[in-house]
Amino acid sequence: MTTRRAVVAGCVCGCAFAGAARSARVRPAEMQALVGPGYRPADADERGMWHDFARLEAEIASSNRLLGSPAMQRYAEGVIARLLGDRAAETRVYLIHDHAFNASMAPNGMMIVNTGLLARCRDEAQFATVLGHECAHYLRRHSLQRWRDMRTKTGIIAFVGAGTGLAAGVAAAAGAYPGTWIDVANAINAALVLSIMRFTRAQEAEADAYGVRLIEQAGYPPGAASAIWQQVIEEDRASARARGRRYRDATRSAMSSHPPNRERMLDLSASARELEAASAPPRRYDGGREAWRAAIAPLRARLLEEQIGLNDPGVSLYLVTALARDGWDGLLRYCEGEAYRLRDEPGDAARAATAYARAVASDDAPPEAWRAHGYALLKAGDADRGRQSLARYLERRPDASDAAMVRFALTR
Amino acid sequence: MTKRMRGAILAAVTLAGCTQTRQVADIGFRPPEGRYRLIVMRPDVSVGLLTAGGAVELREDWTLAARANILHAIEAQQAARGGTVTVAATREVAGSTPAAVADLDRLHQAVGTAIRVHKYARAKLPTKKGRFDWTLGDDAVRFGRATGYDYALFLHAEDSFASAGRVAVQALGMLGCAVGFCVIAQGGRQAAFASLVELKTGRIVWFNTLASSVGDIRTADGADRMIASLLDRMKPGSAVTASAR
Repeated sequence: MTTRRAVVAGCVCGCAFAGAARSARVRPAEMQALVGPGYRPADADERGMWHDFARLEAEIASSNRLLGSPAMQRYAEGVIARLLGDRAAETRVYLIHDHAFNASMAPNGMMIVNTGLLARCRDEAQFATVLGHECAHYLRRHSLQRWRDMRTKTGIIAFVGAGTGLAAGVAAAAGAYPGTWIDVANAINAALVLSIMRFTRAQEAEADAYGVRLIEQAGYPPGAASAIWQQVIEEDRASARARGRRYRDATRSAMSSHPPNRERMLDLSASARELEAASAPPRRYDGGREAWRAAIAPLRARLLEEQIGLNDPGVSLYLVTALARDGWDGLLRYCEGEAYRLRDEPGDAARAATAYARAVASDDAPPEAWRAHGYALLKAGDADRGRQSLARYLERRPDASDAAMVRFALTR
Repeated sequence: MTKRMRGAILAAVTLAGCTQTRQVADIGFRPPEGRYRLIVMRPDVSVGLLTAGGAVELREDWTLAARANILHAIEAQQAARGGTVTVAATREVAGSTPAAVADLDRLHQAVGTAIRVHKYARAKLPTKKGRFDWTLGDDAVRFGRATGYDYALFLHAEDSFASAGRVAVQALGMLGCAVGFCVIAQGGRQAAFASLVELKTGRIVWFNTLASSVGDIRTADGADRMIASLLDRMKPGSAVTASAR
């Protein structure tokens, strides 16, 4: 390796570490809205962006992936109103069927919330944490800044690329080695790419800090923010363990758009303590567990089915157990059974049967629990009780799509 | 001027002045004539600025102007062809229900993308060799029955214009070409496609794509030209399917 090449390689490594290095926590108190109420874009790039997202929003508004629950829609809007006050009118929220734990905010105030998020929240404060984070992106005009940052840096990348052709050509014509120029250009451009990713991570850290302040101001316990990241990390670990893999946080990369999960959790927890200490007199917080349970109850069976159907047993069992920290019920027991049945490892059939039996012992068991319990009993050779259980299923779901099949099973 | 430089400039000029269209059609397709009813579904038009880095930044004013120009150009172009033509500027005026129209639009987007990937681009499908038999199926037939149209025409058009920064990158790249290290930066360009759906059967009977490095659909004249290149010379299936092998 020539000396110059070594220098270049050193630069690249240096930049990579700079890209991945832990950045300082953003203080919630520093976060202010960058746009006033009723903001409309004025610059050409921002107007174009809003126009583009307005078209996308029209598609989403008529999408068949919408959750289609007016009650949950009102509930989500209510939480946003609590977080943003009058400014809530600038946002529109769309609840979309998507199993991934995620939500997003468009520059024009269109917020998308996945069912995968609804499935994982344990109280209103956790839900508000994510909505608050997305609202912060809007109030800080992050999409626009991200676009402008990327536009500048990709512009420089293009100039460096084109300039390198010229420099290398001239060097070659002069009898010098042209490769050095190409190495230098690659180093500069790699650093710029890392810098783009670093910029988006800084925005996410801002949104976390601003979001936790918004929930604290709305009277939610600010600790809910770090609690939800704790759950995300535990879930990822459970998933990796169940698949026999080593847990590795994919967000711990210089190319990640978001800061590492653990870092976010620790920062949010520090911010929460800071906010709690600063509230004088000490505020009484309410996580809204009961309100959340009431709002999510009619949807939970569908939300959990969507998750368990993915057959990632680590995730399914973690999710069920995490939700059961607030108490087991018939639905959670049934879901536990389904997770074991789908995993189908030695002993899982018995575990599933136990879970189904516990499910039907509870008054709030879903009708499907009776079916599952019935089949489990039939398999175990307990024909009488198995038939009784299947009959209970048919009583509760006479119009079920598999009713004819279950009736056939009863005749045997 | 060196020979190499002359070559590079010639190549750049040739690239700059190019408009290409390529149509494919169902083997039995004949361009509609006589008494037919055609609806042009809400054209999907976007115009933006090509940044130095090569991304397209959408411009609202350019897009709105181009959309109006394209609608007008289609009306004028179709008026000369004899059929009864309705141009739907929005989904609401296309007939049937807005939800059904939106569904059909999305279905067409998916099938149109498949055509471009599997018929035009490299990912050719062996089962589609030498034929053109894509369909929107029952949704399109139902739409035709509900509205009474014989054909639906779908159209997508985009245009972009190089920013000053992009022009500088292109110039720098071209200088590199002169000394033997070429970094070609593409300039602004037009891309469009149109497809004709026979609503009796739901089949896409004709499809055309356009790629151009000249033209400007922000102007009425530019939009007329694009629509003329895309729709004027609709050929019967027997003439184009063989070439689409």
